[in-house]
Amino acid sequence: MDRVLCPGEHGEENGSVMEHKTISWQIFPVLSDQHSQGVELVLAYAVPILDKKKTSRLVKEISAVYPLEGQQHLKRVRACTDKASPHPLEMLICLAKPGKEKAEGLHTLSELLPNKQVDCCGLGEPFLVHVPAHPPLTRMQFEEAKFHWPTAFHEDKYVTSALTGHLFSEEEKVKMQTYMKQAIWAAQQGSEKGMKAIGAVVVDPATETVLAVGHDCRSTSNPLLHATMVCIDLIAQGQGRGTYNFKSYPACTVSPLGNRDPSASKAIRAGTVRKFESRDDGLPYICTGYELYITSEPCVMCAMALVHSRIQRVFYGIASPDGALGTKYKIHTRQDLNHRFEVFRGILEDQCCSLVKDSQEDSQSSK
Amino acid sequence: MEKTTTAALAARGVSVSAEEREAWMERAMHMAKEALENGEVPVGCLMVYNNEVLAKGRNEVNQTKNATRHAEMVAIDQVLEWCHRFGRNPTEVFEHTVLYVTVEPCIMCAAALRLMKIPLVVYGCQNERFGGCGSVLDIASADLPNTGTPFKCIPGYQAEEAVEMLKIFYKQENPNAPKSKVRKKEGHKC
Repeated sequence: MDRVLCPGEHGEENGSVMEHKTISWQIFPVLSDQHSQGVELVLAYAVPILDKKKTSRLVKEISAVYPLEGQQHLKRVRACTDKASPHPLEMLICLAKPGKEKAEGLHTLSELLPNKQVDCCGLGEPFLVHVPAHPPLTRMQFEEAKFHWPTAFHEDKYVTSALTGHLFSEEEKVKMQTYMKQAIWAAQQGSEKGMKAIGAVVVDPATETVLAVGHDCRSTSNPLLHATMVCIDLIAQGQGRGTYNFKSYPACTVSPLGNRDPSASKAIRAGTVRKFESRDDGLPYICTGYELYITSEPCVMCAMALVHSRIQRVFYGIASPDGALGTKYKIHTRQDLNHRFEVFRGILEDQCCSLVKDSQEDSQSSK
Repeated sequence: MEKTTTAALAARGVSVSAEEREAWMERAMHMAKEALENGEVPVGCLMVYNNEVLAKGRNEVNQTKNATRHAEMVAIDQVLEWCHRFGRNPTEVFEHTVLYVTVEPCIMCAAALRLMKIPLVVYGCQNERFGGCGSVLDIASADLPNTGTPFKCIPGYQAEEAVEMLKIFYKQENPNAPKSKVRKKEGHKC
């Protein structure tokens, strides 16, 4: 994350001083470990190509012996990194067996390529190099990977634009800010009633409408009513069902979906791909296609509840110590669960942060 | 292993004999069977406190359109209601309550059980798709200082029968679940 959209970077383009001023936060995508970690390296044998003219024949023959099936991202031949070197090119032969080389010493060319399947004429003696174990997923990983050995990179434009802060337009960021402000408002309402200062809203991005507004309602009589759980039940109530009664919490509201025109909910905005899974009655399955804006990162229970509810995107303000969408776990990225979703952190971070601080001070002063 | 578990639980004032466990699990299995016969997810669970059943949960996801209404979550609410009705302190009650459930609790429920500070969960088969006691994640024993307390698990009670019921259930299509691409393809073949 070397470069994130700076506030006001596009301020002059849209010319609005107001927007320029209000947006003082940055948005960070919370990607999987595979996307965010550094490049893992493995040892491999490479060999100098002394006679450049024989390169294509050697590549063909050696690839037949060592197809490097798990390492299709690695290029077979690279220009020699050492400019003073007498040989112009270097070629990858095969992966080394970890640990073995130290004990037994380097393999010779005839050991690596026995049985005379390859005419080794034109090759120098093999040496060990570190090569990237997996294909790079982000541009940053690519930059690091190719430093070790030339690597193919099929750039995911979506991920790149998320990482460089260009996924959302200024206009969209203004909308996000509006939604998060509603979540902050809900948090304050809850806090005034003695609840934890965490607020959330559920938005249908297709119609740009706020469907549910909720705050943390946990108490000794129900310790599990975290803001996310409240919102999930509010959405169920909007679909005519639900479990809990939030009458004593007037800030927790939902707009009914019953009479919504199903064609409107299927409206697809230009440039967005929306998998709309609707049931026979035209209503979505629980939270399919919806977005959650929440002031603090959800816990394990809430994060998994969002998997079960098929949420599409989560935007949160600040990380939580046991958070499950980035901090302790990244439940939204797990390939072994049946639903994945996108998560972004940092929306109105400062305001969300002071929300938590204020309520901590309140509880301390009341003691 | 079994010994240390028992000792640790005894220290927290929770001890259940193998015979008791067997008997409660038998009842939970019976509940799961009933659920299956009624077209519901075949998971049965009991919350037992001082040899008394405070809650009998079953999955209410379709009925409430709330995907978090798993049997365990429903049972937790029943215990809370019981506490409310009899003027008992929920913290004190949950800390001495044992959950008997036919299938390993999912990640969400495992976190909820931690938050409620339930000390012991006896379960039947593994939950390969969502399990939160080791199958997918081990929330039960994870180091999460802000998420309640870890709990002990005693798995494997009539696991085969519990799995068999799940298999039968998942062969029938859940009409409320969103259509997956895989399922559509299968549909074309038929």
